[in-house]
Amino acid sequence: MKKLLLLMALAMVVLFTAAGCGGKTPLTIWVGSESEAFYTAKMEEYKALYLETTGEEFPHEIAVKGVDTGTAASTFLDDTEAGADIFTAAHDNLGKLIAGSSSVAPVQSQALLDQIQADNPASFLEVIKGTVNGTEYTFGIPYIAQSLVLYYNKAFITETQAQTWEGILEAAVDNNKQALSLAGTDGFNNSFILLATEAETGDTSLKLYENGVQENCFGTGDDTIAKLKWGQNFFNHPNGAKAPTDSGWEVELKDEISISFIGGAWHYSAAKAALGDDLGITILPTFTIDETEAYGDAVTGTVYQSGTFADTKAFFMKKGSAYQEYLEDILLFLTSKDVQEESFEQVQNLPAYKNAADEFAAFQEDTLDAQLAAAQVRMFEFGIPQPFGFSSKFNTYYYSKGAPELILEILKNPNGNLTTHEAILAQMQKVESLWKTGLQPQ
Amino acid sequence: MSQISERKNEKSSETSRFLSFFKNLGIKTKNAFLKFGNRFKDGSIGTKLSHFIMGSGNLYHKQIAKGLIYLALQIAFLFIFITSPEVNSTPLGFKSIINFITLGTEEGDIFNPTDNSMLMLLFGVIVFGLIGLFLAAYSSNIKSSYKADLDKRKGKKPTSFKQDIESLLDERFHIAMLTPAIIGILIFTILPTIFMILIAFTNFDSQHPAGQVLFDWVGLKNFADIFSGTGEISVRFGPVLGWTLIWAFFATSTNYIGGILLALLINKKGIKLKKLWRTVFILTIALPQFISLLAMRNLLSEYGPINAMLLELGITDAPISFLSNAESAWTARITIIVINIWIGVPYTMLMTSGILMNVPTELYEAAQIDGATKRQAFFNITIPYILFITTPYLITSFIGNITSFNVIYLLTGGGPGVPGYKAGETDLLVTWLYKLTIDESEYNIGSVIAILTFIITASATLISYRRSKSFKEEDAFQ
Amino acid sequence: MISTSAPANKAVESNLVIGKKAKVPKSVKNTRRTSLIVSYILLVVLTIIWLYPILWIFLNSIRVEYNSSNQLIGIVVSHYFPKSIGLENFRRLFTETLFPRWFLNTLMVSSVSFVLSTLLTLSVAYVMSKLKFSARKKFLSIAIILGLFPGFMSMIAIYYILKALQLTQTLFALILVYSAGAGLGFYVAKGFFDIIPNSLLESARLDGATNSQIFVKIILPLSKPIIIYTALLAFIGPWMDFIFARVILGETNRELHTVAVGLYYMIYGERVDSNVFTMFTAGCVVVAVPIVTLFLSMQRYYIEGVTAGAVKG
Repeated sequence: MKKLLLLMALAMVVLFTAAGCGGKTPLTIWVGSESEAFYTAKMEEYKALYLETTGEEFPHEIAVKGVDTGTAASTFLDDTEAGADIFTAAHDNLGKLIAGSSSVAPVQSQALLDQIQADNPASFLEVIKGTVNGTEYTFGIPYIAQSLVLYYNKAFITETQAQTWEGILEAAVDNNKQALSLAGTDGFNNSFILLATEAETGDTSLKLYENGVQENCFGTGDDTIAKLKWGQNFFNHPNGAKAPTDSGWEVELKDEISISFIGGAWHYSAAKAALGDDLGITILPTFTIDETEAYGDAVTGTVYQSGTFADTKAFFMKKGSAYQEYLEDILLFLTSKDVQEESFEQVQNLPAYKNAADEFAAFQEDTLDAQLAAAQVRMFEFGIPQPFGFSSKFNTYYYSKGAPELILEILKNPNGNLTTHEAILAQMQKVESLWKTGLQPQ
Repeated sequence: MSQISERKNEKSSETSRFLSFFKNLGIKTKNAFLKFGNRFKDGSIGTKLSHFIMGSGNLYHKQIAKGLIYLALQIAFLFIFITSPEVNSTPLGFKSIINFITLGTEEGDIFNPTDNSMLMLLFGVIVFGLIGLFLAAYSSNIKSSYKADLDKRKGKKPTSFKQDIESLLDERFHIAMLTPAIIGILIFTILPTIFMILIAFTNFDSQHPAGQVLFDWVGLKNFADIFSGTGEISVRFGPVLGWTLIWAFFATSTNYIGGILLALLINKKGIKLKKLWRTVFILTIALPQFISLLAMRNLLSEYGPINAMLLELGITDAPISFLSNAESAWTARITIIVINIWIGVPYTMLMTSGILMNVPTELYEAAQIDGATKRQAFFNITIPYILFITTPYLITSFIGNITSFNVIYLLTGGGPGVPGYKAGETDLLVTWLYKLTIDESEYNIGSVIAILTFIITASATLISYRRSKSFKEEDAFQ
Repeated sequence: MISTSAPANKAVESNLVIGKKAKVPKSVKNTRRTSLIVSYILLVVLTIIWLYPILWIFLNSIRVEYNSSNQLIGIVVSHYFPKSIGLENFRRLFTETLFPRWFLNTLMVSSVSFVLSTLLTLSVAYVMSKLKFSARKKFLSIAIILGLFPGFMSMIAIYYILKALQLTQTLFALILVYSAGAGLGFYVAKGFFDIIPNSLLESARLDGATNSQIFVKIILPLSKPIIIYTALLAFIGPWMDFIFARVILGETNRELHTVAVGLYYMIYGERVDSNVFTMFTAGCVVVAVPIVTLFLSMQRYYIEGVTAGAVKG
């Protein structure tokens, strides 16, 4: 037995001694899988530019790799040392990226800070900053914008009907279809009701972590209750909205079970496959509160515009990257207006650019791609960026602690016990508590 | 049959071995120290020197290769131990022992890294393991030199390196055979398991991401949380455990009964093309589950062909959600168990077929002499034989089902959801564990659940081995 | 106790055909015929149930339907039989994704790891079954206990251990992980070796054979079924695993993925394009064909292995 242990010890020691030095990894950039080829080409361009301006070859190898942008931040955090020097992530991941002593580096060059300040919509500027050890820094460099839009079946819904949920419901009733399909039950997909704003004034009483404060959540205003009651009626109408199924929205659209769908740019290809020439794209519709739905301040006849999370994907830099000195210059190039515009033209990435609709020629074309972009850009007027990047807790509290299921229960009202406004209010009090503390009230 | 009865003795003696283990431990330690001292006093100068420089005894006895190996081991170990090379910016060496206790002290800021508590914990475990192995090598080094001393005294030549190697192929063949396997198990199973168990005593969770925020030892707090508080684990543990046991019971029994029936059907006298029928069912085993279960999920979906058929036949008037969007938890649960029959029955069928092919012919001959009819032979010999033979399989299968992951993960992902908690209605302990650790980074809670799962499977194993009739009446059929 | 070498079907016939020569009355003959017909119907129904999902995957892989804007419909659809078929999905799979690379990776990993795993499994099984030494019982109980821990938690540790060895995100690491645990999966093979009579070994030993010679010259030649069974399972593992491989290889190293990981990332993720579903199924078919062929050709050994495993479990 001793001999055996001896041999084992030998092998272990050899193995761990071998673990001394490793090869140098190239400067790595993670982008969305769909635009891997585009950014690979862009980095070649960057190297050429570098040679032109400095007269020297770019001294390091560069590797551009594709990643699922929805989970890129987690992938990065799983092993930061093996993570990319520059990586893409939705802005609301900032909280977990900078928890404690942060895993990402702040932007420090004035040139890049200036470009961020000059190019981006005001709402983005708020959500790319974070506080570490009491000091506020800018961490993210926005380069893609995304919001939710309405995909609809033009064979059943006219352009006018698509402007209001009432119109869509009418089309659904006429054709005996269901008005709307959703991609999932999570808190992202119910935002068209929860984040709706009064069409005329843009007002809403809803507060989600306002100013990054955990306690600043409010989901029990009269208008929120009225909106949810409207949503309940919409979901319980035989031709109304459908709760998500295992079949998936693609099948529902294609088989004309439902005639519209709320989705993002990443659903575009599948929506086009499902509907072909009948695919219409527009901004999310409005809805009007009737007397059964009116509650308190939200009076009968008030029109609400469906809202959305209007998000940005930003580049982040790895803290302690071996290539730190080069990163900001690269980012200055990658997030420049020209590259953003090209990325829109070539891989349909919506630019995170102020007044993109007016600034970019490509938006003016009459293609479906341009319509998608235009609709997304317009939705920015009715949306807020997901306000969860201030702390690593917010995302969990909002999405993962069961609040979406409670809201879905209001909408579906499966047991009929959430019919009254009071019952909805009581349920929303639980939701509010989950948002604030991650716990249900006792 | 000798092996089986021997095996039985092995089992029953296990517990008593365990108890006597601690008793013996004290005596053994005492003896070891006495032996150690004696060898130092009694040994040659080489052996004495071996206590300080490994391999010197062997070199003294001209066992050059062996001596050099020991020396190299000592140098390599001391080199790593003292220099503590950094892996992932975390030292791996004597510093790891300090780090293992503190789990990091450097808080870090926006420009400087925080100590990575998780790696410190892991490296601590690794270094303790290395020390243990080093001590074993050290003691073996003395022993080897002392043995050469004794050989010399008896007038024999100390064993040569060649002889050592040869003995590895014969009387110590088990060492040569087991070493690679044990190295693998040590590095990739034991080490990670110890690490995992230790995590349960820390506050390593989503609020303490490794490398960003330090985490620390918290003692038994995570376990105490099961019995108090409103956290995920205290509220959901009971229901999830309940469903896990229900699932394991039904998944095991349906597959077992279904498999035996199917095997009997295929192997029935007169059925032609037996091999073809078996082949059909083998397909399920051969096809990766992430493919076949995905197909299942789509076929059972609201607008899939199965619902379409139910509508056509007038059995239902609206599509039914069978899986994660099901109205009631039990719809989803029953569906999963039914789908699991599709997955698991072929396996039992094959096994039973194999057994059917091998029912000892003597049994039938005896029955024939006694004048039994075919039917009687079937019910009095075939069936009891199958049941007898497969009882151990039932136990392993039950344990396997407690920790089965793919079916739930790929079919429902644990859904339908339970508002407020990660664990859904169909989550098993393992899928819950997966969600908590891989999706939510709640490593400490995950680890507690892993330990509890282990306790459950371990007690199931223990009880079943003890109670299992087939183990007690091993010779009933002979 | 079990004559594992008995030719499969013959044994069944001889066992179940008892009293064949006795005269069978007509009524019994009729009942037997009805019961046979019922059995056949049952088998056909079960076959349909079992093949239904598998066929669905295949049909999806050859479904090449275009919509009104002439775009390939790659999403899941509700109809079972495709309206038009073709090989477009396969073409795309091989030209637009790294699938060929994934396939070669998997082939490489599984070829190496099945050799290593088989060696490890067989050597441990042999030692545990036939050699007597002091730590044998300890090893047995430790092996049982270790097998009971859920593996996910250790995944993180394994990742960093590999990293400490400078091995993460390489196919070699994957090979190590797949093979390393093989030493614990010795039960089935041990059960098989237990059946080999000890007397055989004793006589060899009397003839002066060493333990290693006994293993190589006596045990191994007798163990073809169990060797094939062990090797088959070890070979197939890497084609099916999408959990460990994902953690070890990392999402972004697409050129290192195995087929299971590559296909997994094709359809699971938060921001994936669901219009690649038919391409995914084409990938599934390409993966399934070699495995299924292998499995079917090794069927006999697989059954023997499963049986040995059950008996000695």
